[in-house]
Amino acid sequence: MKQLFIGMLLLTAACSSESLEPINPNDKNIVTLEFDNRVAAQTLVLNDTKYTNSSGEDFTITTLNYFISNVALKKTDGTVVKMPDQYFLVRQADKGSLMPVLKDVPAADYTEMTFTIGVDSIKSISAIDQRIGVLDVASYGSDNMYWSWNSGYIFFKMEGISSAAPINTAGLTKYQYHVGGFGGRTAATANNLRTVTVSLPSVASVRKSKSPTIHLIADISKVFSGVSPLKIASGAVVMSPTAAGPIANNYAKAFSVDHIH
Amino acid sequence: MRKILLLSFWLMACTSPEKDPDPVVREPLFKQPTNFPAPAYALASNPVTEEGFELGKALFNDPLLSRDNTISCSECHNQIYAFTHHGHDLSHGVDNRVGTRNAPAVQNMAWQKEFFWDGGVGDLDLFSVAPIENPLEMDENLDHVLKKLKSTQKYPALFAKAYGSTEITSQKFLKALSQFMLSLVSANSRYDKYVRKEGVILSFEELEGLRLFQQKCSSCHAGNLFTDQSYRNNGLNIQGSKDEGRFRITERVEDRFKFKVPSLRNVEMTAPYMHDGRFYTLEEVLHHYASNVQQTTNVDASLKNGIPLTPEEQANIISFLKTLTDREFLTNPKFAGN
Repeated sequence: MKQLFIGMLLLTAACSSESLEPINPNDKNIVTLEFDNRVAAQTLVLNDTKYTNSSGEDFTITTLNYFISNVALKKTDGTVVKMPDQYFLVRQADKGSLMPVLKDVPAADYTEMTFTIGVDSIKSISAIDQRIGVLDVASYGSDNMYWSWNSGYIFFKMEGISSAAPINTAGLTKYQYHVGGFGGRTAATANNLRTVTVSLPSVASVRKSKSPTIHLIADISKVFSGVSPLKIASGAVVMSPTAAGPIANNYAKAFSVDHIH
Repeated sequence: MRKILLLSFWLMACTSPEKDPDPVVREPLFKQPTNFPAPAYALASNPVTEEGFELGKALFNDPLLSRDNTISCSECHNQIYAFTHHGHDLSHGVDNRVGTRNAPAVQNMAWQKEFFWDGGVGDLDLFSVAPIENPLEMDENLDHVLKKLKSTQKYPALFAKAYGSTEITSQKFLKALSQFMLSLVSANSRYDKYVRKEGVILSFEELEGLRLFQQKCSSCHAGNLFTDQSYRNNGLNIQGSKDEGRFRITERVEDRFKFKVPSLRNVEMTAPYMHDGRFYTLEEVLHHYASNVQQTTNVDASLKNGIPLTPEEQANIISFLKTLTDREFLTNPKFAGN
C-alpha cells in the first residue's frame, strides 16, 4: 500500500514536471499534421485489399492523393491563427507526405482546426514563379495533380479497381475520381474547394519547447457515403468539376481528429 | 503600370550599351507596335532577352519535348504558315495520333488573354504544358522533359546563358518558351503600314474590302488584333467529334459549341480554317458566313441571318484579308528553326 502510494506520488510528480512554460507570444514552433487514411474500421492498404462501399460495391484503392491548404488554428480565447501559403499534398503512396509540417505556428493553446481540401482560387491562378514544391506543374509525372488543358489543380484523386466499373480500353474495371474546379478564372465554373473544421479532442499546446502532432483520421469510405451515397456503377470515371461536386461533399465529411500527441 | 513598363524599357535602353560591348545595335526582341493595345502579358516579370529567346527557340524546335522524341512544337507550328500546321485539318501527334482541333497560329501571344480554342489556359507561361502532356499531341510528362533536358550536353549550357545557372526547372523552361513566343509579333503587314501611314497604298478592292469588313465582321474580329477574344458559336454545322468547345472548360450550357474568335492576321497563310480545319479556302469561309450559317444551339445573335454578302463583296473582303499577310514575320530568319 505504501509502495503504491509512493508510486502514485512519483507518477504525479512526473506528470506535473511536464507542466508547460507560460505562453510567450513571440515564440513559434512547428505543428505536425498526421493524416491517417483508413477505410471505415480498416487500415488503408494500396492495391491489395478489397473494401466494400455503402452501396455494397467492392473496390480497391490504387491511388489516393489530396491537397491540404489554408490551415487555421483557433486558440482557447477564440481568436484564429491563419497559415496561408503552406500547401501540402498527401499521397498514400509516399509515407513522407502523410505527416506534413506546419511551420511558424505561434505559441498558444489551440482547440479547433480548419483547413481547405484543394488549392485555393488565388493560388490556382498564380504566376508560374509561385508554383513551387507540391504546386510545381511538373511534379509527380504520370500521377500529376495539375490539369494542363483546363488549367487548375486536381484537389483530390482516388483510383482503383471495382467489379462495379465497366471494362476500360486497357481491359481493367477501373474507377477514377479526379476532383478539381476552383470556381473559374474569367467565367464562373464549378467550385469544389471544401473547407473542413474539426474540433481537437484535447488542447494542442504550442510552446518554444513543445511542438504537438495533430493526429487526423480520414475515413476514405466516406468518399462514397459522407453526405449522399455514390455508386461506382453510376459513374466510374468522374473528372468533370460539375459532376464531381457530390464526391467533394462526401469527402469533406471524412476528417476527424483522433488525438493530439 | 504602363509607365513603369516604359521606364523599364528606357532603363534597358540606357544600360544595354554598358552591359554589351557588341557595337551592333540589336533590335529589341519585343516591340510594342503603335497600332496595338497594351499587352496582356506581364512583360516586366519575364523580360525577353537574347539568351532566353535563343533557349526558347531551341526548345520550340526540339522533338525531345515529345514522348518518343519525334515531334517538336514547330512540327504543327511552322513559321511560313504563321506557325500553323499547313495542310492539316487537325493537329498530329506521336504515333500518328490525330488531335481533335486545328493548330492555331502562334503569333502576337503577348496580347492574348486566354489560349486554345476553348480558352482553357489563361497564362502564356502555363500554355506549353498542355500540348506536351496531351496524349494526342506530344504525350509526354513535363517532369520527364526536364529530366531529358538535364541529361543533354546542350541544354544546361543554354539555361546557364539565359539564367546564369545550369539548373533546369519547370519555371525556367516555361518562361523561356514564353520569351520565344512573345517575340513572335506580327505587325508589319501591308494593312499595318497603311494604318500607320508608312507609305503603303491599298487598292480599290482592298479598301472596299476593308470598308465591308469594318461594317460586317469587326464586331467579333475587332481592333488591330482582329479578335475581341470572346467565345462564340459561328453557326458551323455540328459534325465529326461534335466538339462542344468552351463548354468543356466552363461546363455552362450557354457555352456549348462556342470557340474563341481567332485573329485574322496572316489568315491567307493559315488554312485550313475553323476549330476543326473544315474549310480549306477563304472563299469557303466567306461562303459559310454569307449563305450557310446553321441555327444551332447558342449560335451568335449577330449571325441569326448569316452575313449577307454578294460574291463581289466576298471577293473584296478576301482582297482585304490578304493585306494582313506579314511577309517580314513569316520569313524572318531570326525566328527560323535550325
